[in-house]
Amino acid sequence: MRKPALTIDGLGVSFGGFKAVDGFTTVVNDGELRVVLGPNGAGKTTMMDLISGKTAATEGKVYLYGQEITNKPEHEIARAGIGRKFQIPSIFRDLRVRENLEVAAARETSVFRNLRLGLRKEERDRIEEVIDLTRLGDVLDTRAGDLSHGQMQWLELGMLIVQDARVILLDEPTAGMTQAETLKTSRIINELKGKHTLIVVEHDMAFVREIAERITVMHMGKLLAEGSIAQIEADAAVREAYLGSGGIH
Amino acid sequence: MSEILFIGLSLSSILLLIALGLSITYGAMGVINMAHGELVMIGAYTAVLAGIYLGLNLFFALPLAFLMAGVVGLLIERLVIRRLYGRIIDTLLATWGVAILLQQAIRLEFGLTFFGIHIEGLGPGLQNMAVPGFLTQPFDLWGLTIQPYRSFIIVLTLILTGVTWFLMYRTSIGMQVRAIMRNPQMAAACGIDVRRVSMLTFAYGSGLAGVAGVLLAGFKTVQPDMGASVVVDGFLVVVVGGVGSLFGTLASAGILGQINGSIAVLTNDILARAVVFGVVILLILWKPRGLFSMRSR
Amino acid sequence: MTITTRGIAESLAYGGFIAAILLLPLVMDDVFWLNRIAKYLVFGMLGVAIALSWGYAGVLNLGQGLFFGLGAYMVAMSLKLQSYTSLQQGSDTPVPDFMLWNAEPGAPTDLCCINQGSFLWIPFQAQWFGIVMALIVPTLIALALAWPIFRLRVSGVYVAIITLAMVLLVRLLIIDAQPITNGFNGLTDLGWLTIGGFEFDPYLVETYYLVAVSLAIALLATRWLVSTKAGLILQSTRDDANRARYLGYNVAAYQVFFFAVSAGIAGFAGLLYVIAAEFASPSFMDLAFSISMVVWAAVGGRGSLLGACIGAILINTIEATASETEVLQEAWKAIIGLVFVLVVLFMPRGLAGVALDAVAWIAPKRKLGPAPLAQQEPAE
Repeated sequence: MRKPALTIDGLGVSFGGFKAVDGFTTVVNDGELRVVLGPNGAGKTTMMDLISGKTAATEGKVYLYGQEITNKPEHEIARAGIGRKFQIPSIFRDLRVRENLEVAAARETSVFRNLRLGLRKEERDRIEEVIDLTRLGDVLDTRAGDLSHGQMQWLELGMLIVQDARVILLDEPTAGMTQAETLKTSRIINELKGKHTLIVVEHDMAFVREIAERITVMHMGKLLAEGSIAQIEADAAVREAYLGSGGIH
Repeated sequence: MSEILFIGLSLSSILLLIALGLSITYGAMGVINMAHGELVMIGAYTAVLAGIYLGLNLFFALPLAFLMAGVVGLLIERLVIRRLYGRIIDTLLATWGVAILLQQAIRLEFGLTFFGIHIEGLGPGLQNMAVPGFLTQPFDLWGLTIQPYRSFIIVLTLILTGVTWFLMYRTSIGMQVRAIMRNPQMAAACGIDVRRVSMLTFAYGSGLAGVAGVLLAGFKTVQPDMGASVVVDGFLVVVVGGVGSLFGTLASAGILGQINGSIAVLTNDILARAVVFGVVILLILWKPRGLFSMRSR
Repeated sequence: MTITTRGIAESLAYGGFIAAILLLPLVMDDVFWLNRIAKYLVFGMLGVAIALSWGYAGVLNLGQGLFFGLGAYMVAMSLKLQSYTSLQQGSDTPVPDFMLWNAEPGAPTDLCCINQGSFLWIPFQAQWFGIVMALIVPTLIALALAWPIFRLRVSGVYVAIITLAMVLLVRLLIIDAQPITNGFNGLTDLGWLTIGGFEFDPYLVETYYLVAVSLAIALLATRWLVSTKAGLILQSTRDDANRARYLGYNVAAYQVFFFAVSAGIAGFAGLLYVIAAEFASPSFMDLAFSISMVVWAAVGGRGSLLGACIGAILINTIEATASETEVLQEAWKAIIGLVFVLVVLFMPRGLAGVALDAVAWIAPKRKLGPAPLAQQEPAE
């Protein structure tokens, strides 16, 4: 039995009476790849906001490897081991690709310990690995804001790997990608399986089948179902929730 | 006590009039117009020149100054600001340059001094505007001493605030301005001529500055750099009140003007201004979007 | 580091600039002008401070004059106590002349109690105290100011407004404390900085060198600072503060640190200015002065330390030359206003941007290829 990496216990938040996430509970094991599904407005992105500290939860707790991280400042949650990729790529657009990766090497976060030139050996090696994995070698000196949409997504993914976050939250990593780009992304994500714990919000079912082990379905801020692809596709409650949007494609 | 209130109110009024224009240009267009003070100055000089050359008194100078400052504002918008929308800090720097340019233009009488030509009323010297006699005699009403000029300022400011409110919230052009405030791209997509509306809005805000200048000329000496200090005050009022909120600007001008007035009576003008700055800093730290900010996404 | 055309050009520019300011006295023997240039080099240091906070941190500080002014006043207090105007007031210990003018009748002629608050001057009788304070006080005030600003995530134009209100606030307090600050008139008739028995007469070439070497050190130290990992992280917070947070960086800590460094540089500049100009005045904290600094940096290039530095020196030198030319004396200010407008409109990256474009144009498409990362050595 693998030990739990991320434990979410009765997490909830309400915005002026509207409960975007409501008593959500799940346990993600170490090294697991969990896909979170749900119709629009189900609270998937809000749930990620709560975990990563962007939004403060009004109820419930989040534990990372047994350590409570509920409502801590974003940078402390990140240091505890959570990395996050946004739907719209969030990278340092005015810095070059290489510099983006260097900033992501964040083992040392204090100002004073970073008053040094160059990187440590293990950080350089790590960045080299990531450059190989993401195939960004040709654009290292390009301004990140000038990359193609797909390259930006891979750069952000690469930054999370350099950051060495134990738990990585991915919000629709293939949104707006071409078929070829999606394929490359699923290759990268499969590469990360086992080394990192991954939580992926995704709509594209073809992509989900490509990567998923276990699936959590959210509906109206609550947990609706959890299980393997086959279980989820057979689940009556899930069919019910998706009827309006024509079932899972 | 009523006297303190009165002084505070009239201070607030001028502040409000200056801030009103800034609130429109900053709120609607995201432009920090550092030359706004110079538009106030131009209004004041218009009053002085109208008195010297046309023999016109305060009342005729008001619309004239509105037009004059409006036209200059329109030119600033067309020549400079139009190229800088979306670059707020750059609008600050460029209009600072414009402010220096305008100040020097008045000081050098538009460069005519180089040809030995002098225009009475311009130049580096100090000027005064005569206030009509019947506005200078205090009179008693229900046991209160009424300062007619200060009352005139307060009433005119209230009227202009009302007019501005009406224009912004009850006319189709006002609706277009508010649409641009929220989302210029969407406004353009809806068929609003953003360029034309922005230009007119800017001219209107500038015109209000001109009116403020005339009123200011009634109790302050008119000189080329008289606008430099008022622009900061006006700007602080807008920020404290909340960008895009007419009511916020009104309330904040009232609050800051009263604080300034009361503390000035208790201690001195210098400390009063210092306290106002301190209050402003704390308020911005507490509510960066202003006391009455417009909810925008 | 990877050797790039841009890197070579930049090194040449820094080397050339430092050589130029150090060699200037060899070709210029007019001490009057040398003193003037020294003052403009001080303004160049302000350009460095502005570029650090504006260009690298993305924080526009419209109150940099506060830190310049504080640095200036701290050292000016010490130098005032060493001046004959303080020593010849008929007491055993020095008392500034203006304190006597402002004293209540019958007050003892002593720093302890001649005016309310005059005791604050007592430690400044030691010159080293004034110098140390000129560096410490601006930095500490900057820390105290920046901490709430950045912790509360105030950003963009609101930082500019708070810093602007702050400099005007302190200016008024100094003016209001007339009995111990000499109010509007500021501190004048100062003594000379004396180190190891050597008196830094502002019109000596040694004083010029003091300023020039200080500028060279400040410039290189700041350049080093922004090349460190911390400097890179700072730039990343400018681009996307949230991304930096999700990587684990405490963004506020970086912003506060570099804001304080920038303030410290401005304080150091204030110190040097007093040595070269022999006065400290509340006009250092005028709105116009603080905005002017930003404009110098914009003309030189807000994103470049050296560019902003050169911009400040250039504008001031040209301004001084022009104001001595009869025809331009008054028109000059209007011209500079026009230049500001044109630079913002048509040269948003300033002179440094133009220079970089020129380098890229002269040495085009020399494909160096991306050097493998492993070649990077941690240069110590």
